[in-house]
Amino acid sequence: MFCTQCGAGNPDGATVCAQCGRNLQSTPSLSVQPPGMPQAAGVYVPNYLVFSILTTVLCCLPTGIPAIIYSAQVNGKLQAGDIAGAQAASRNAKMWCWISFGLGLAFSLIYGLLMVAGILHRMNR
Amino acid sequence: MLAATFAVVAAAMVMLDFFDPATSGLFPPCPVHYLTGWYCPGCGSLRALHQLLHGNLNAAWALNPLTVVLLPFLAYGLASYALNEILGQHLPKPFLPAVWIRALCAVIILFGIARNIPLHPFDWLAPAGSLLP
Repeated sequence: MFCTQCGAGNPDGATVCAQCGRNLQSTPSLSVQPPGMPQAAGVYVPNYLVFSILTTVLCCLPTGIPAIIYSAQVNGKLQAGDIAGAQAASRNAKMWCWISFGLGLAFSLIYGLLMVAGILHRMNR
Repeated sequence: MLAATFAVVAAAMVMLDFFDPATSGLFPPCPVHYLTGWYCPGCGSLRALHQLLHGNLNAAWALNPLTVVLLPFLAYGLASYALNEILGQHLPKPFLPAVWIRALCAVIILFGIARNIPLHPFDWLAPAGSLLP
């Protein structure tokens, strides 16, 4: 069978996807969690990891670091089965991504305006 | 967030292909380096991307090795997000244990610190450090 979340092939009768950990048992009667499996299997909580790394490396701002740390918290809490906590961390990760992006954009705009002002100043002289 | 990211990435790629951030003055400098004089983990990443777009892997590596290493993973992540949003299809989405993400965060921070140490061999990590005599 193929996982409904990530599309990875799994042996028929597997309870969770070997690739992403999603619960593969669709009927509720079979969805009893095997012992030792993460409770959060099958719940998707975005961790914004790609965006947090992009804003850290390309916006060059220390505000990207909290975004990455919250991304790690999302996955850590999912592993522990704390879905509400993971969702809270997910919101924080998203917020810090936007803060980094906004600050980077603001700096670029201010830099651009100053550059235009400098060119105009030189032309008027 | 996806649309914003792709708009910025696409615009930046076109600009980066035509203008070299090292010489054109068209791109904003790194805020951290501009304000503090220190290199951040991302310093040199725009120049590295310009070199990559022109096929110069060595020059890109010299400007920012971290960007070169992370780029394939970031590209995969972005492609995965885009496919999901536009076509509703999923690429295989490996679940990263939290420890890995924390380790990655530590690598980024340590890289940022190391490239500011003005001693051999750390100065190789500074932008274009390994190209200096």
